Amino acid sequence: MIKRLLSFEWKQFSRSSYFKKGIAIKILLAFAVLYFGGMALLLGGSLFFILKKTIPETDPMTTVNSFLFFWFIFDFMLRYFMQQLPVMNVKPLMIIPVKRNTVIYYLLGKTSVSFFNILPLFIVVPFTIVLLVQGYPVIPVLAWLIGFVAITGSINFINFLVNKNNVVFYVVLALVATFGVLEYYSIFKISEPMGYAFNYMYAHPYLVVVPIVALVALFNATFHFIKKGFYLDDAISKKVKEVSTTDLSWLNRFGAVAPFLKNDIKLIQRNVRPRQVMMMSFMFLFYGLVFYTQDTYREMPALLAFASMFITGGFLMTFGQYVPSWDSEYYKLLMSQNIPYKTYLESKWYLMVVAVLFSFILSTPYIYFGWDIFGMIAAGAVFNIGLNSFLTLFGGALNRVPIELNVKAKAFSNTNGFNPTQLLIGLPKFLLPMLIFYVPYKLINFNAGLIALALVGVLGIVFRPYIFNKIEQVYQKGKYKTIAAFSEKQ
Amino acid sequence: MIKTVNLTKKYNDVTVLNIEEIEIPKGQSFGLVGNNGAGKTTYFSLLLDLIAPSSGYIENNGVLVHESEDWKPFTSSFIDESFLIGYLTAEEYFYFIGDLRHQTKADVDTLLAQFADFFNGEILKQKKYLRDLSKGNQKKAGIVAALIGNPEVIVLDEPFANLDPTTQIRLKQIIKELARSKGVTILISSHDLSHVTDVCERIVVLEKGAVIKDLKTSPATLKELEAHFSGLVGVEKATDLQ
Repeated sequence: MIKRLLSFEWKQFSRSSYFKKGIAIKILLAFAVLYFGGMALLLGGSLFFILKKTIPETDPMTTVNSFLFFWFIFDFMLRYFMQQLPVMNVKPLMIIPVKRNTVIYYLLGKTSVSFFNILPLFIVVPFTIVLLVQGYPVIPVLAWLIGFVAITGSINFINFLVNKNNVVFYVVLALVATFGVLEYYSIFKISEPMGYAFNYMYAHPYLVVVPIVALVALFNATFHFIKKGFYLDDAISKKVKEVSTTDLSWLNRFGAVAPFLKNDIKLIQRNVRPRQVMMMSFMFLFYGLVFYTQDTYREMPALLAFASMFITGGFLMTFGQYVPSWDSEYYKLLMSQNIPYKTYLESKWYLMVVAVLFSFILSTPYIYFGWDIFGMIAAGAVFNIGLNSFLTLFGGALNRVPIELNVKAKAFSNTNGFNPTQLLIGLPKFLLPMLIFYVPYKLINFNAGLIALALVGVLGIVFRPYIFNKIEQVYQKGKYKTIAAFSEKQ
Repeated sequence: MIKTVNLTKKYNDVTVLNIEEIEIPKGQSFGLVGNNGAGKTTYFSLLLDLIAPSSGYIENNGVLVHESEDWKPFTSSFIDESFLIGYLTAEEYFYFIGDLRHQTKADVDTLLAQFADFFNGEILKQKKYLRDLSKGNQKKAGIVAALIGNPEVIVLDEPFANLDPTTQIRLKQIIKELARSKGVTILISSHDLSHVTDVCERIVVLEKGAVIKDLKTSPATLKELEAHFSGLVGVEKATDLQ
């Protein structure tokens, strides 16, 4: 039976719409896998030497152990937001004569081969190999490895349990925040006793039974949890959320586009996938911290222009990239209702503009890095509004991949809304500003670069009606194809 | 009101729809019946410009559907669940459609009040998103949304499917009412012969994309349709045997 289930799994994978998409995407996908895998391998292989060099006074093993706790916490958070639990797929299996236990074992086994469990191995295995080559004792190192894998597995199942229970999640979140603050201000360093515990396990390899027992216990707990709730209206079900309504009538001042803006805000509030993307776009705000703090980049203003673009353009790049896919579930409605295509596109534009302005306000703390930098962010914001927003909308016309709104993105799901044309259109979004800034900067000075950047943005805003007409034509042209693609279920 | 001329739709040389001519006058309630794959939904999709015709055209109130968007203000439709916005509550959805059709909140409320019976207390004030409603209730919401904003043309694909018997009867009353009093042109497709003969003045039978019967509804129509479709069973059996 397991064999048959595995073959279903293979069919689901090889027949999924994004996999069928053609050779180019497969090559890109393969590259992505190789890249991430390679990076992980490289990190695992060199971690020992990096640590030895940067912190020569402590044993790399000890250093790793003291950070391990944070890794596990990070792992858990990442899983909570990203890992898709395959519970719903079980439905068709419920009524055919397969033993319940078989199905559950299979289900749990399936979560165990997730990307989130395999990627850490790519780091840890090379790391242990290096340790062994470096002459570390075999048994403790292997015990450490097994311990690591067992804990990763445990997190996998904890995540399974937590996903059905929000309270647990907020408790964990509160704990993390508290310990994070305590750690940061050196009041109480949780990583120390935790690091000590890992060191202790390394010193006494037989203690590896502790994480193993934990893993087995959690496996059993999850098993029984699912078995007990193996009914349509229990563990197998999707959560039905109580409605939350917010008064959005203040948006009415936007006139014809107001109904769409209101809808888009609800879209983000109430659906898993847009919320995820929203959160990612928030991370872009911190992009500057990487670039502005390092002197090497200070010497390369073109790269700074690039970073400044990202600070206010996060929403545009992440959320905007999937226009009009966000509306794919009800695209037919929008296409047959009393909506001119142009109004629809304008509403998306306003949404992006509002997001850029909002990020710009949030980016004021960057004044700390000097007015030059802040001027750059401002110029970048104008550029985002005046040109990048249109490029994003334009790219959207070629984006015909439906999005399931209330389902978490799978790992590598970016490929779903991603194609080579999309990539080509995405390139100018950050190459152009670098160029537009760099040329006047080289020829005249820094401020000239900023002005050029802002000017291009202003031009875009001035010629908005004309640009919208062009974009609308592109959308109209692809309309039937888009409708057909969106009505295909994934 | 709606003129269909030499309309064909092909997918890779397979003709799925081929209608020489249908003219639907204003205020007619028009029923489309046929087996699966007969082309009912294809025809409605063409009418709403959701797919492009391979040849020919549909004219809705003088507007060429595949060339202009001007038919949208007076046409409304409910084809399937993809016409619902899953993350809205029913009220929010109605108000959204109202906004699109330039209706105030009060207008929408007045309209909804007329359908209290039809909703049977299962749609409004439910604190549930549309995606979490049952299939039947989703359909109720979709059908009523299609009536918002005084449309002149209403297109409903399989409106009776998934509805409970009481609601089916109420829906029939609603459709008859609309056709009689307001001069609304209604297009309905259905698998249920008795329902269409009940509410439609005219019934067209599609088979493999072509019009094979165009009937003015009379007391004899149901019998005729039943005879026709059971005749098909006979034909199929005969071909199966060969």
